[in-house]
Amino acid sequence: MLKIVGSFVAGIAFTGVLAWNMAGGLMFHEHLSPFGVEETVARIQQNIQVAGKGWALAGLRFPAKAVQADGGNALPVIMVEACSTKYSGPILNEDSVKYLSILMPCKISVYKKNDGKTYIGAMNAGLMGQMFGPLVGEIMKEVAADQAKFIIMDPSKPTPQIIYPKAAGGGAGGGGGSGC
Amino acid sequence: MRITHTLLAVLAALSLAAGASEPPAAAAPAAAAAAAAAAPKALSSTADHSKFKELQQSFKSGPEVTKACLSCHTEAARQIHKTKHWTWEFVNPENKQKLGKKHVVNNFCTATPSNEKFCASCHVGYGMENAKTFDYTSETNVDCLVCHDTTGAYKKLPGLAGHPTYKDIEFPAKSGKIAKAVDLPKVAQNVGKTSRATCGACHFYGGGGDAVKHGDLDSSLKMPAKYLDVHMDAKGLNFSCATCHATQGHNIPGSRYTPTGKAEDTAHMRGKENKGNPATCQSCHGAAPHKAKERLNTHTDKIACQTCHVPQYARGNNPTKMSWDWSTAGKLGPEGKRMTIKDASGHHDKYDSNKGNFTYEGDVVPEYAWLNGKVRYTLLGDPVNTQGVTRINEYYGSASDGQSRIWPLKVFRGKQPYDLDTKSLLVPHTAVGYGEKDDSGYWANYKWDAALKAGAAAAGQPFSGKFDFVATEMSWPITHMVAPKADALTCTQCHAKDGRLHAIKGVYIPRRDANGMLDLVGWLLAAATLLGVGIHGGLRVYLGRKG
Repeated sequence: MLKIVGSFVAGIAFTGVLAWNMAGGLMFHEHLSPFGVEETVARIQQNIQVAGKGWALAGLRFPAKAVQADGGNALPVIMVEACSTKYSGPILNEDSVKYLSILMPCKISVYKKNDGKTYIGAMNAGLMGQMFGPLVGEIMKEVAADQAKFIIMDPSKPTPQIIYPKAAGGGAGGGGGSGC
Repeated sequence: MRITHTLLAVLAALSLAAGASEPPAAAAPAAAAAAAAAAPKALSSTADHSKFKELQQSFKSGPEVTKACLSCHTEAARQIHKTKHWTWEFVNPENKQKLGKKHVVNNFCTATPSNEKFCASCHVGYGMENAKTFDYTSETNVDCLVCHDTTGAYKKLPGLAGHPTYKDIEFPAKSGKIAKAVDLPKVAQNVGKTSRATCGACHFYGGGGDAVKHGDLDSSLKMPAKYLDVHMDAKGLNFSCATCHATQGHNIPGSRYTPTGKAEDTAHMRGKENKGNPATCQSCHGAAPHKAKERLNTHTDKIACQTCHVPQYARGNNPTKMSWDWSTAGKLGPEGKRMTIKDASGHHDKYDSNKGNFTYEGDVVPEYAWLNGKVRYTLLGDPVNTQGVTRINEYYGSASDGQSRIWPLKVFRGKQPYDLDTKSLLVPHTAVGYGEKDDSGYWANYKWDAALKAGAAAAGQPFSGKFDFVATEMSWPITHMVAPKADALTCTQCHAKDGRLHAIKGVYIPRRDANGMLDLVGWLLAAATLLGVGIHGGLRVYLGRKG
């Protein structure tokens, strides 16, 4: 009996450790971009603008600039923010999940790593949404599908230019877009 | 109690007195300005050049100013005459190659022959219209002001053969913009030591624009913050270029024509001992500078300081040019005029009819190579590699020669014209002198044939009339933009499978060079040890219970 209980507890512990280790990787995904940081950002912005479904650019942030301003160095990171009221509205109107507003607007991060290559990082909205009930799950499933289109890098399309939000004040900031 | 009252009374009286002595707020700025005007100039120099009668003249040209300078600084011009800033020539003592701007070809604007009037805006002389016929013995044609101006008002415009403008002109031509004549008396009376701004007037703008050529030298270094360069930090150590490039007799040490691959191993006092290049890290820091982490000192024999301490270049918010494809130049806009197309940032051109396609990049992770200080250039007349990439310059070095360290490099890639018959690089005649009409200048008529013919004639090289474009690479050792030590590379950025030094050969780097079989044997040994301990422990427990 002791052996059975012990094995059961050990199995749960093993699964727990495994889940703990994998959770981070499941909640977010990372892709290599064939372009530099700025061109990747510009192409994502272009994809967002043509996506429809209420999607609009909500801002651009430069967190590495804040490190510079504080006397340090960090490789470039630019966060593209996008929002669609079609998706945000129902969540913001439901008190039980209103706290999820902290995840708004949707962010896609574009950054350079020490290998000199550019990467795109984003939240796995589909998987995360499933943790918050059917309303959020359904919405986030659609958001995830749209997000996947945002990061399609089509080299056959001409290079667009980055859209800098009018309210961007330099440094780490740069919100002030539209949409939400 | 009485003492307290007395103290309070004194304090009150003092505060009233202080209040009474303060001028009205509105009058304060005017008073301060008047005081500043009345105060003598705070000079670090022992000479105030504005008081010299020789300089109190209405100079009409640069050479007139030089003549006045030389009346006191009698040897200066002759010192300048010996430098490559003047001769545009340097003979590599190792292989006797003739280098310098008069001879080398790069893969930016390519070369100076036929383009001197334009390029000479970065010559320390006046009147260089042709590098072959220029009078290199003239003392008054030495330009003192370009290095010693402190006003920031002295500009040498491209197309004027090394002269500043002496009258107001429309510049660039037909742009509607007016370049004001330089106030020569003012500049001459305010000369001083060289500065980041004066050196940078050329070295920050090499290759045709800010940050274009070097990658680790751009206008952000005029007043850099600490994150960008710990030595030049304008609010900190505030080094000028000459702090490291300690100059003697106007000869400035530190050059990529004779780079110091492996510097002297001990710090030394500049000017007191001649122990090699003063523009190296070791000349101040020695070879064992890591006091708190001595393990790092075991790396300094093989790794240049810059490899760890310049983690990226072009960090000053000025992206550097990374490639240049001349083969696409010449496409014109709808009206048959020059056109430019901006890149994704919106700040730089990715296409220019005059020059072709470019790419720019900021915060660039360097490439790395062994450097022992020896270098060979592909010069005019040398064969190119038509089947692959031609190296404009090739730095030598290896893990085993005992003279090399691993250095960070900017590798600039391009496509440029070469002669299909002679299989050697060609020089296009691009720019024409200000106000001149010259049909052979590529930027005037976009005709490669005429431009290459004129360039070849000026360079004294044959031109068959048949040409194509060849892929080229040019390497630039990175040494400026030294980051704070907290931002130096960490161990795992090199000690990793695909780390920074993945392409470096000839040296064993733990973790990068892990051997799968060796690792497996190690893990098996560890597992066997653990198993042995378990069995041993289990037996002891079992036998202990059994009694």
